Amino acid sequence: MAAAQRSTPVGFTLNGEDMQVHVRDPAAPLLDVLRHDLGLTGTKSGCAIGYCGACTVLVDGEAVPACLQMVGLLEGRTVRTIEDLAGPDGLDPVQRAFVAKAGLQCGFCTPGHIMALRALLDQDPDPGEERIRAVVDGNYCRCTGYVKILDAAREAVALLNAGAAEAQEAQKAQGAD
Amino acid sequence: MAITDLSPATGVAEPARAAMPPGIGTAVTRIDAEEKVTGRAVYSGDVRLPRMLHGAVVRSPHACARVLHVDTSRAARVPGVRAVVTGADTAKVKWGAFRPDLYPMAIDYVRYVGDEVAAVAAVDIETARRAAALIEVEYEPLPAVLSLDEALAEGAPLVHEDAPGNIAHEFGYDRGGADAWFERSDVIVEGTWQTIRQWHGALETIGCTAEWTQDRVTLWVNSQTPFLARQRYATALGLPLRSVRVVLTELGGGFGGKSGDDNTSVICAILARRAGRPVQLLDTREEEFLASRPRIPMRYRVRLGFTADGLVTAKDIDMVADNGAYTGKAQAVLGAATVRHDALFKYRAVRARSRLVYTNLEPTGAFRGFGNPSADWAVGQAWDLAAQRLGIQMPELLLRNAVESGDVSPHNHRIGSCELKQCIQRATRAIGWYEKRADPKPNRGLAMGVSVHVSGRRSFGDYDGSSAIVRLTEDGRAAVIIGEGEVGTGSRTTFAQIAAAQLGIPVADVSVTRPDTDLTTHALGTLASRVTYVAGNAVQRAAEAACQQLLDAAARQLNRPAAELWVEDGHVRAPASDEDDVAVKVPVGTVVRAELYRQGGEPIVGLGSFDNPSEFPDQSRFGNESGAYNFVAEAAEVEVDPATGAVTVLELAAAVDCGTVLNPPLAEGQVEGAVAQGLGMALTERFAWAGGAPTRPNFDDYKLPTAGSMPPLRVEFADSYEPTGPFGAKGVGEIALDPVPAIIASAVADAVGVRIHELPITAEKVFWGIRAAAGRRDDEGER
Repeated sequence: MAAAQRSTPVGFTLNGEDMQVHVRDPAAPLLDVLRHDLGLTGTKSGCAIGYCGACTVLVDGEAVPACLQMVGLLEGRTVRTIEDLAGPDGLDPVQRAFVAKAGLQCGFCTPGHIMALRALLDQDPDPGEERIRAVVDGNYCRCTGYVKILDAAREAVALLNAGAAEAQEAQKAQGAD
Repeated sequence: MAITDLSPATGVAEPARAAMPPGIGTAVTRIDAEEKVTGRAVYSGDVRLPRMLHGAVVRSPHACARVLHVDTSRAARVPGVRAVVTGADTAKVKWGAFRPDLYPMAIDYVRYVGDEVAAVAAVDIETARRAAALIEVEYEPLPAVLSLDEALAEGAPLVHEDAPGNIAHEFGYDRGGADAWFERSDVIVEGTWQTIRQWHGALETIGCTAEWTQDRVTLWVNSQTPFLARQRYATALGLPLRSVRVVLTELGGGFGGKSGDDNTSVICAILARRAGRPVQLLDTREEEFLASRPRIPMRYRVRLGFTADGLVTAKDIDMVADNGAYTGKAQAVLGAATVRHDALFKYRAVRARSRLVYTNLEPTGAFRGFGNPSADWAVGQAWDLAAQRLGIQMPELLLRNAVESGDVSPHNHRIGSCELKQCIQRATRAIGWYEKRADPKPNRGLAMGVSVHVSGRRSFGDYDGSSAIVRLTEDGRAAVIIGEGEVGTGSRTTFAQIAAAQLGIPVADVSVTRPDTDLTTHALGTLASRVTYVAGNAVQRAAEAACQQLLDAAARQLNRPAAELWVEDGHVRAPASDEDDVAVKVPVGTVVRAELYRQGGEPIVGLGSFDNPSEFPDQSRFGNESGAYNFVAEAAEVEVDPATGAVTVLELAAAVDCGTVLNPPLAEGQVEGAVAQGLGMALTERFAWAGGAPTRPNFDDYKLPTAGSMPPLRVEFADSYEPTGPFGAKGVGEIALDPVPAIIASAVADAVGVRIHELPITAEKVFWGIRAAAGRRDDEGER
């Protein structure tokens, strides 16, 4: 690597794991650290000025553009990226909704859209049409004309609530035993 | 299964429609959906190679200047820098798709703001950019031509010495005697309309990763046209073709902008050779806006003639197009933008003169629609004027003149399947045209437009074909090996559907490779709405060939005549031969394996090839460009706020004839996305300019449509079947963009009487138009 320079350690939780990175510049964007230092390339760079939403990640549950998030300000905080969504049980309901409703074409904006909707659903599991639209409105897509992304967003709400209802039923059934 | 007749369409023959096999016309899930929703898809910037460096480019701040001196010494001393290159390190060869006029990096002159001058490779992007900023370039600024008018002015400075008058290309024709037909016309309308640069705005910018092994470079690129790009990159690098291998990454959108006409991959290869290490070079968003190949601004003067009862007689256009500083695909776009529209209506005579003009502005090139949105912007509005003048409702005027199956355009475009009239009727109903006309509301306006597009276009020499290999595996699956890529439209899924349907196996059992110029058959790429039609046919033929081999093998293995066998749901089947026999049901994989594991065993590999049944147009663009034409009719209703001029699109209906719809959500997605780009072109997409370049080249000035700005869309597909297409399909990728800007402008004119002649349709222009109209009314009142 380049000539040895002083580096700053920053400790945060990334996708459920405690993480310490050493950065030369604490003002470096989280996006570059994710993509270049940590090899997490699922978060995309579209404009680098916080406008397009392609790099959306969750910081303490809030959807933020990783291109504007200074890594030095992450000490003690929690970051979640697209790589953390699918688990051993398969895709996250938001991801399943995008697959089911053909809510993607080139797929480059898709991780950002999914993370933005994930943040919404974490905060409000049953958002109305207006809130869904407001969130999708914050992320660019150049392929789809947004019709099927909005379909996917509505489907994600339906899947999430169906899943929650199922879990409730299961709990009830267990309680009855 | 028997393949449909693929002979060129001639005349009005009734299409022979085969029954659709399973998986055709259904919402098959994209085969790449899961890797895209998980972030695992590997795009150009996601490629990681051991010891990989990152590049940065130094670009001209001048629209025109002589390069006196380039001092790279300070940059080279920056710790972490591994290579610094300039034009002196190139083969000094000009390259370009049609008119070679571009150096990989400047030799003596720069010709636009953004022209490449030097480049750096370093251990990380920040170091590369920091070093690039330390390269000192001494320029002698020269007079520049910053508009069409400046470039065409008497005695204007020349952008290139070998292009007198700054004309890069021109052509024209007069077919059918336009003057005589204008003389016989009862109504003549005319006007001048202008489009501006529109950027592709693919969320992923252009990028490349290059690695050399001995005398050979491998380029991992996000190109729409890997094989054509390979040829051009080899030329630009001064290398024989064998020394360049192109491998496709995932593409984060293209829309024509990733057609290999820019220098990024070439510079990346030069840096990697100099550094002796792999290099990745990605355009920043600012670079993409300054130095990609946006839509060509075109200025049309249009005249149309009609009889009193609304039959079109003649069309005359005089068009100039802003090539920018280098040519790329603009020359081909000029052709389409001039002739294509004439395949829409039954013109008696057409005349045109088109000129491609060099300017000291960003080079222009291919963008979804390939000139047609600009042609429609002008000619579509002239048709709207004609409807007004004739007092005929637009849907009716269009129906009276629309082409039909069997028609031949003045340029010998032979119209095969054609449901344009059905599209017009569907769009009329979908928007509620006559209901709305019967109940007019203040400040609301209605408009309709139509367009035609190709399914592949013969333009890179006398070949618009494709080929594919279908290999059956010993576990009963099929691999489609093809050089045609995936730009986001779902073409790999479409290939899987076509192969699965032809073979009789589930779509889930078909994989589709990615293009690699070392491994796959030659392909022209994702352009001209050609992939479903041209490459789809090749895949279908390859699958048919593989299927025949499979059945022949099974016939030998089972001792049954091949004619009795068929494949269904992954099994070779045959009926019971007599009462004592049982029906045959053998897994495909078992047959494939048995064909291999024997003395003299052989694999089952089918090769399929298809060449578009079209003609290579002559110098005057006479010739049937494509084997199949797709059509659209679109209607929009807008509301204009008279206090501000702000335009709201209330709804938009699009009815498309693309033959058989192979996968409805994918086809709808093409229409919805194209309409969105059309709305951006119509309403919001523009830059503030100064000194020959956008002042703030990023999305904060250049506004793409967002979810909140989209009107309700009503998308319909015509009942249609193209006899030469795979399962009756035609192209659908571009068509729905074409009429959008024109119908929004015509709807605004219908709403408030203000006709916009130059894109985009901003509130400001409409507001001043309303004020001017009010002023005219006041003047008339005083008189």
